[in-house]
Amino acid sequence: MDAEVSPTDTTGTLPGDLMIWVLIVSELLVFGAALGAFLAVRAGDVGGFLEAQDHLDRTAGALNTIVLLTSGLAAALALRAREAGLRGRARLGLGVAALLGVVFLWVKALEYSAKAAEGIGTDTHPFFTFYYLVTGFHAAHVVAGIVVLGLVAWRDSVANIENATAFWHMVDLVWVLIFPVIYLLR
Amino acid sequence: MMKHLHDPLWRAWATLLGLGVVTTLAAALGGHLPAPVLGAVLLAVAWTKARIILARYLGLVQAPAWQRGFDAVLGAFLLLLYGIYLIPVL
Repeated sequence: MDAEVSPTDTTGTLPGDLMIWVLIVSELLVFGAALGAFLAVRAGDVGGFLEAQDHLDRTAGALNTIVLLTSGLAAALALRAREAGLRGRARLGLGVAALLGVVFLWVKALEYSAKAAEGIGTDTHPFFTFYYLVTGFHAAHVVAGIVVLGLVAWRDSVANIENATAFWHMVDLVWVLIFPVIYLLR
Repeated sequence: MMKHLHDPLWRAWATLLGLGVVTTLAAALGGHLPAPVLGAVLLAVAWTKARIILARYLGLVQAPAWQRGFDAVLGAFLLLLYGIYLIPVL
């Protein structure tokens, strides 16, 4: 990593509001507990979980990873633009980030509708209970993030955009943990 | 394009996409790899992606002590997940 702090400053201060970091840590703990529980239940029925996992669309999951990572870049560039006083460019970045969030939800909706067409629901197998619970809760955060990105595009102070984009990156961060654990581990 | 390659944010994004390719390859080879190896690769890549998001997107590169703390706790958490994943394998 590039050094971006002075040689005498070995601690640095957290970027953004402390409360957004409390929220980020809380969310990581919630999703972390869910993923831990998923693997613990899986340990008692590996065959059933593998069979159920084969019904997932890994390509859609990988596509959504690219979409969210690119959305995170747009959000980070938006914050940088706002810090430089480029309000129009910042709004554009926030708009791109939110639009990619909508793309993520659209792909997720296609996944869910394909499962529904197969007759797969939350009670089909414990795997799907976790799948819908974890990915559904994550999708709810994406919805919230899109709303928050829209709000800070309107009320566009640096602090507002910094906190909103931090929330958005948390959604990104959680997805890069969910995807391999639920979709890919064999 | 070259200008973007010198930008830490764009470099982080490119690295994240590159790691996505590693994840895809590992998953595609999953049937040929022993489960403990596949699990280790997938979780190690996930940890690396998470570290990049924390450092660059969330800006923890400006706060090295916090960055080390987050990296260590996330690493310990993923090790715990790996341990649970290995229970039926061992």
